[in-house]
Amino acid sequence: MRLPPQSGEWIIRSKPLGFRFEGREYAGFEGDTVASALWAGGVHVLGHSFKYHRPRGILSAANHDVNALMQAGGTPNVRADATPLQAGMALTAVNTFGTLERDAGRFLGWFARFLPVGFYYKAFHSKRLFPLWERMFRAMTGLGRVDFATPRLRTPKRYGFCDVLVVGAGPSGLSAALAAAEQGADVALVDENARLGGSTHGASELIKQVVAHPRIRIFTDTYAAGYYADHWVPLVEPGRITKMRARAVVVAAGAYEQPAVFRNNDLPGIMLASAAQRMIRRYAIRPAQRVVVLAANADAYRALQDFIEAGIEVAAVIDLRDAVPTEQAAVLAERGIPLHAGHVITEALPAKGDKRVAGVRIAAVATREASAEIACDGVFMSVGWAPAAPLLYQAGTKMRYDDGVQQFVPDTLPDGVFACGRVNGIHTPSARLLDGERAGSAAAAYCGCGAAKPVVVPAETASPTHPWPIVPHPKGKNFIDFDEDLQLADLENAIQEGFDNIELMKRYSTVGMGPSQGKHSNMNALRVLARATGSTPGAVGTTTARPFFHPVPMSHLAGRGFTPERRTPMHARHAAAGALWMPAGAWQRPEYYAVAGLSRSDCIHGEVKAVRNGVGLIDVGTLGKLEIRGPQAAEFLERVYISKYAGLKVGMTRYAVMCDEAGVVIDDGVVARLADDHFYFTTTTSGAALIYRELSRWNTLWKLDCGIVNLTGAMAAMNLAGPKARAVLAGLTDVDLSFPYLAVREGTVAGVPARLLRVGFVGEWGVEIHVPAEHGAAVWDALMAAGQAHGIRPFGVEAQRLLRLEKGHIIIGQDTDGLTTPGEAALDWAVKMDKPFFVGQRSLMAIAAKPRRQQLVGFMLPAGHAGEAPKECHLVIENGEITGRVTSVAWSPTLARHIGLAYVQPDRAQAGSQFSIRLTDGAMVIAEVVRTPFYDPDNLRQKEAA
Amino acid sequence: MSEIVFENVSRTPRAGVKGPGAAAWLTSLGVPVPDLPNSWLPLPGGLVARLGLTEFLVEGPEAAKLAAPPVHGVYPVLRQDTALVLKGARLNDLLLETCSVDFRALDRAARPVVLTSMAGVGVTAIPGDDAGVPCIRLWCDGTYGEWLLETLAGVAADLTQSSQSHHQGATS
Amino acid sequence: MKIMTCPVNGPRAISEFAYGGEIRPMPDPATCSDDAWADYVFNRNGSPGVKREWWCHTPSNTWFVAERDTARDVIVRTYLYAGDN
Repeated sequence: MRLPPQSGEWIIRSKPLGFRFEGREYAGFEGDTVASALWAGGVHVLGHSFKYHRPRGILSAANHDVNALMQAGGTPNVRADATPLQAGMALTAVNTFGTLERDAGRFLGWFARFLPVGFYYKAFHSKRLFPLWERMFRAMTGLGRVDFATPRLRTPKRYGFCDVLVVGAGPSGLSAALAAAEQGADVALVDENARLGGSTHGASELIKQVVAHPRIRIFTDTYAAGYYADHWVPLVEPGRITKMRARAVVVAAGAYEQPAVFRNNDLPGIMLASAAQRMIRRYAIRPAQRVVVLAANADAYRALQDFIEAGIEVAAVIDLRDAVPTEQAAVLAERGIPLHAGHVITEALPAKGDKRVAGVRIAAVATREASAEIACDGVFMSVGWAPAAPLLYQAGTKMRYDDGVQQFVPDTLPDGVFACGRVNGIHTPSARLLDGERAGSAAAAYCGCGAAKPVVVPAETASPTHPWPIVPHPKGKNFIDFDEDLQLADLENAIQEGFDNIELMKRYSTVGMGPSQGKHSNMNALRVLARATGSTPGAVGTTTARPFFHPVPMSHLAGRGFTPERRTPMHARHAAAGALWMPAGAWQRPEYYAVAGLSRSDCIHGEVKAVRNGVGLIDVGTLGKLEIRGPQAAEFLERVYISKYAGLKVGMTRYAVMCDEAGVVIDDGVVARLADDHFYFTTTTSGAALIYRELSRWNTLWKLDCGIVNLTGAMAAMNLAGPKARAVLAGLTDVDLSFPYLAVREGTVAGVPARLLRVGFVGEWGVEIHVPAEHGAAVWDALMAAGQAHGIRPFGVEAQRLLRLEKGHIIIGQDTDGLTTPGEAALDWAVKMDKPFFVGQRSLMAIAAKPRRQQLVGFMLPAGHAGEAPKECHLVIENGEITGRVTSVAWSPTLARHIGLAYVQPDRAQAGSQFSIRLTDGAMVIAEVVRTPFYDPDNLRQKEAA
Repeated sequence: MSEIVFENVSRTPRAGVKGPGAAAWLTSLGVPVPDLPNSWLPLPGGLVARLGLTEFLVEGPEAAKLAAPPVHGVYPVLRQDTALVLKGARLNDLLLETCSVDFRALDRAARPVVLTSMAGVGVTAIPGDDAGVPCIRLWCDGTYGEWLLETLAGVAADLTQSSQSHHQGATS
Repeated sequence: MKIMTCPVNGPRAISEFAYGGEIRPMPDPATCSDDAWADYVFNRNGSPGVKREWWCHTPSNTWFVAERDTARDVIVRTYLYAGDN
């Protein structure tokens, strides 16, 4: 049964909606929340509490009613007090063993004394019992159920920009937004509620002006999830996150009304006065028939007007204050409502079945002796406020406790951050408007829009918050934290056990650690700690407020998930040829080319055979490709590589190894000299971007007369290799292919300008062909066509790794790690210590004076080795100690043996030495050190001239 | 029309150059040089963009001039970009989903060139408008180009679909 | 997220930048002791305060210097390395 239409109500009576809760049908309206529709339908128990499974109803109706968490089909974590009702919703309570009606967990309340504070800590002390506890808690705890078949929802994020971001559209926020916009600022106004107005109600003049203003963008149903550096605030909207960059932020987030603490203060029907007001004004619901109002401030008496208008019988007002201001008391006198000043509620009395409040016992504050019992089916509490200050804390605001208003208020605000309204300690309605105007104007001025208005905001003359709305009771069940079911005694016990610092008390008792993150519990807990330790709230302080302000759906955080992919110009050719793709950093590379009916390793071996016996073509376009020009280009290369390049002849190439300042090998490639002052050089695929960046930094420092250009993406590159390769290429190029091994020539291939480098990586006659990317596919096609007659096969990364292993070539990052120096990797020959300077030289000098720690060697398993073979990273073991590890290993089809590279102790590094490798299951395999290259030890095939 | 139109102009002739001598060299070839870093000038059939302090991108027939042999302090940059022109009323929404630069705050009269990251890919961007319809020219490394185009087209398609279904939500 | 101002490209989200380490003078490798060299290679000053650091705006490959107060998380100023035009 609803009240007559309320001015500005949120429900749309012409749109009724049907839904189910716990298997029963109910009806509400569009504009209802789940909680309001249920309450209107006579359902007052919305859930059971976390620990004791006590029946709970509405507490705040402000998105911290965790006891009203529900499951809607496959969707968990439906917050009934904040979730709009939708037709056909099928909701169930969470945290019940069985149904809400018959919850087997209710018995837990009776065993409360065995669930003391710090229970988890104490229970888990015993390792022996931990598995038992774990099983129990997994079954008992957890709120809701995840549906693993949920399809991925795409909720793309977007950026946003504004001058002034105003968080909160209550009176002070609205006022701030308007003031800033009037000064010319571009304003974004955010509020977590479905409509503007905050705790006030109705389409006021102010709201109309804000809605109409062209420079104010409004985000409703949106909350500011946190404050990040430089005014970066994620706005969580129903369907996505807007990453808002503001130039100034006004926090007008208001305050959370706080519950009073007395025995059974959690019975359904006991709620915050502001919750009752929302029920009445937004949803046209009379939350109770006959209520007791627990008051301690002017807000209570303002709320009283709403209760009276809604036809609620106010049985009495219990005011914690000894002296109630005349104008407040007058309202009661007019209507004959009894006022008990200087009194507290000592306990609430349950109706039969414990599912609703039926009355309260009151006592004078001084005596604490119960003096009367008052029958009621609702208690509305208006005893104080705690500022919604997480954003301010996260922005680095220094807060202080103000005794005048009994709350924390901003003391020192960071540049560009402003606060107004209740969060700033201003509670009187007219003052909130002025405070908003002041803050909005100042924020706009901070952005260079106009000047800050000198608005005078009157301070509060009376505290809107009571410093101690807490009543102890020998029988307990006076709750401080409704999420975690923590009673007053739980906190007192924690403090007594020595957890007497705010951070320790929080973690030991778990106060404030539930889904509402202490919105209605932190302040009271803080007061308890202050009193118990003879301190003050200001001295006790608050725990760190971390993002997010409310829970954020994972899908919002995922957004689109941009993962850029790089493809070579020949990508489509590989796909057409049946390539299996493997990621190599951001690149996609062919791992091998699938052949119908053949296994992966057979395909790879087939590619290897083609290169050894015929001709193969591999796309090496992912290699880093850099170009350096200038009079000091050679000098630059001398400084960054370990070998010498000053004397490299024009038209020749040389293997290149780069070390860092610690002398550790970080990259390798090939340097080709195209002219005295012009070099073209390659890096590893994964090193390209980093090396280019680092070389740029070195030259920023050294200022040598040269310039480096990154051609990695601009050049396509492919390696044509095999005994028939020369025949294939001969018809396509104007270059005389008798040019020497390790030389470089410029000419054309298939009519395209190309650089040809004779290389030896795979151990056959081979040429690396580099062309501008736009011609890559055409050159690939021409080579494949010309190679048909010779049985040309494309080959992929795995075949190449096998081919190079047969030659004993290292791969940086596979056969070297973050500590490997050139000598350890058998690259002594490349180090030219007689250069004046190169990066890493000084470290290599120091290292040379010490004994070598390990040595990379080639190894083979015995011919006819049966059984499992070692894998990469299997350890070399001697006398029970780790003395090395395998870095590369494979079955070589060419040699019909298992071959590999491994680090061993230097005294085991001679050819013919044997060492033991331990497999995963502990079995040991004997390997023998073999000189590399394994295949064609004199490198005749790749050097072949004719 | 709420669609964002994509034009792939990767084949337009272009050339790059950088180095301390680059500005003077271009001038000597008869290619005008923008005064300010990160700005551009129109050329017959194309443009010249100053990328930062000492790098230049020339697009259109004038690019052929950069084939001249470089001199001291001049380092040719082979350009093999994927180049796109995007145009549409909802273009700014696409930019807001993919790039953290506030394009609307730029002073168009200064003909700005923006070097930034879009959907995680390094891009050079020149915002503009075509008879009041927002447009933007983008260049990126060709090896990222296919992915970037697919990704931006996906974002654009979602935006078109959401306009068509009158998606509720805050205005941008 | 934090804003860093590239001297050439202006203020940008810090995700557009790569950190290059504190600018530290290299001891003369020809004359310094092994200990002094190892200190240069491996040790860093972790105490909070204003640090001069290498930063790179990656989309434009612009290396520059940022003076950053690591105690207050404030970027004091940014400029091109001495001698860069």
